Amino acid sequence: MARFLLRYARLPSSLLVAAGLALSASAALAQDVIKFGAPLPLTGPLAPEAVKQQQGYDLWAEQVNKAGGIAVGDKKYKVEIVYSDYQSNTPRAVQTTEQMISQGGVNFMFSPFGSGAAKAASSVSERYKMPTIASTASSAQVYDQGYKYLFGTFTPNDTLTTPLTKIVKAKAPNVKKVAILARNDLFPLAIAQEMEKSAKENGFEVVYFEKYAIGTLDHSATLSQIKTQAPQWIFVTGYINDLLLVRKQMTDQQIKADVVSMIAGPAYQEFIDAAGPGGENITSAAWWHPAAQYSGKDIFGTTANYVKLFREKFKSDPDYAQASASVSGALFQMAIEKAGTLDKEKVRDALAATDVMTFWGPVKFGATGQINSLEPPVFQLQGGKAVVLSPDIIKQGEFKLGVN
Amino acid sequence: MLAAQILINALVLGCLYACIAIGFSLVWGVLNVINLIHGSFIVLGAYLAWSLYQGLHISPWYSLAVAAPLFFVFGYVIQRLILNRVITAPVLVTLTLTFGLDLILNNAMIYYFKADYRKLTLTPPMGSISIFDVVVPVDRLIATVAALALTGVLYLILRRLRVGRAIVAVRLDRDAAVLMGVNVNSIYAIAFGLGAALAGCAGVLMALIFPISPLTSTAYLGKAFVVCVLGGLGSVSGALAGGILLALIEGVGSTMIGPAHATTLSFVLLIVFLILRPQGLLGRKGFE
Repeated sequence: MARFLLRYARLPSSLLVAAGLALSASAALAQDVIKFGAPLPLTGPLAPEAVKQQQGYDLWAEQVNKAGGIAVGDKKYKVEIVYSDYQSNTPRAVQTTEQMISQGGVNFMFSPFGSGAAKAASSVSERYKMPTIASTASSAQVYDQGYKYLFGTFTPNDTLTTPLTKIVKAKAPNVKKVAILARNDLFPLAIAQEMEKSAKENGFEVVYFEKYAIGTLDHSATLSQIKTQAPQWIFVTGYINDLLLVRKQMTDQQIKADVVSMIAGPAYQEFIDAAGPGGENITSAAWWHPAAQYSGKDIFGTTANYVKLFREKFKSDPDYAQASASVSGALFQMAIEKAGTLDKEKVRDALAATDVMTFWGPVKFGATGQINSLEPPVFQLQGGKAVVLSPDIIKQGEFKLGVN
Repeated sequence: MLAAQILINALVLGCLYACIAIGFSLVWGVLNVINLIHGSFIVLGAYLAWSLYQGLHISPWYSLAVAAPLFFVFGYVIQRLILNRVITAPVLVTLTLTFGLDLILNNAMIYYFKADYRKLTLTPPMGSISIFDVVVPVDRLIATVAALALTGVLYLILRRLRVGRAIVAVRLDRDAAVLMGVNVNSIYAIAFGLGAALAGCAGVLMALIFPISPLTSTAYLGKAFVVCVLGGLGSVSGALAGGILLALIEGVGSTMIGPAHATTLSFVLLIVFLILRPQGLLGRKGFE
């Protein structure tokens, strides 16, 4: 009995020692780590997007830590990304952001996914004067709130449609009539509206503009109607599922056109694989493409090196979503190293003054905080591969007419 | 010409909808179970066809012969081991149970196949035939014929075979069927197995037409639900009538008022039917 008591009497002291050790360890860790908060929709309908964001951030953090960390003055800090799941629920994204800043002890923030959630959470960041980079927000309305601490790596939506229109106008003078079919959803519809605007500005006749409902299983009636208008250019927005279905049904209905453009499917390898020969000559545009060839000053260096590192880690090709997350980290890194301090105000100023070439392309933020230096690549699927048509500095091939 | 094209589109699509819905209708009609796994069964059938084609170059037409017995056994076992335990409980219990089973099956598919969209593309492609400028894709046409054949087979089973008569008997009056010596539990399992087999076959056919992903299961389930309500529960010809009506409404609606409102229109129709004709087009009153 006495021995029994003794054994338990010893326990608290050993626990204390352990706890003390843990405390001092975490105190030491806290000094050498920079924490980045990343609220993501890890569960729910947006979960696939969150996985991409996470891959992008993780790859950057891994590379930085492998290289010793971020240099602040003469000290190196390791990077830790703090994730939190907001379950694809925007109000919860705002709460999570606030929690991370006020209680989580994060040094800097990444925005939640997409324009809507990024905008909602940006007011929290602004209130706490927390430098924040949005890696997946393209709408200009996210940045026109007069906020000082928000930066974004996506150019506005019209930068995707305008270069595409210009190429078609220059290379396909016979194309006069455009039909636009849009998924009735925030981003796809916004892109379609920009397309309508830029088509009209460039002298095209928009003979058809319709929206289809989310979850539409059949487009045959719509496509039959488009066929009667005989457009030379068919422009469809939506996600991979919709675009594969539309493309298949175009073939079914024997609809041919000089130009077929789709946003945002062809930027993904998944689309190219699934569409097979049906993808041939489809044009698209995205903020970034692994076929781009930039030589940057960031931790990844060239686009090719980024793609190589990504393939090694995830056994697949990155698309613009993952690359944008990685470049957001790299931009923070460069700003912190330039500022030479973790002071939020100074890092914010360094971010605002960014003017650098990266694997993502040239990065410079406009007065609103949204990137204004990037010219998103226009590309075309040729022989089962995406070939960049513009901008000229990364051009890989010539525009081809005819989608059968 | 546009009108003819839209009519043909709707007829073909309607048969596909019927194909999606018929197993669901059978299970709902006979077992009074709103089977929420139905959509995932269809997707699983599509993956089966896709895997067999990609891996072993087995044409989807042969996959039908694999899918039917496989899914029958799968459905039979699920009913026998799990659903039969709560079959007499209120409809909410079976609904929740199938909801849970669906979550498990769907997430297992996401885990195994990933959420990526796949496409079964036949080489060479089957193309389309055109008659007086009206175009019909051959794969849809064959799927339509297959859907009609499956419907016909089910009709014959229910009409001519002893087990089919027993299924109808259980549907009409469970207690009387028991008194006549029908093994109700076994009949339930057979009916559920048939429903699953029809879903699996529908999945094989849909693999030729729609992109494949676990995320599409809710879309199939939604269509099956609407078709059943429109056509009438448990009625074989009802599923066909409901499918064609739904496809017509969607096709005409999408042409007249734009594709954005086609789905809204079909759900308005659903509500109208639920209020005015709850037994559906061809259902019999009392079985809704």
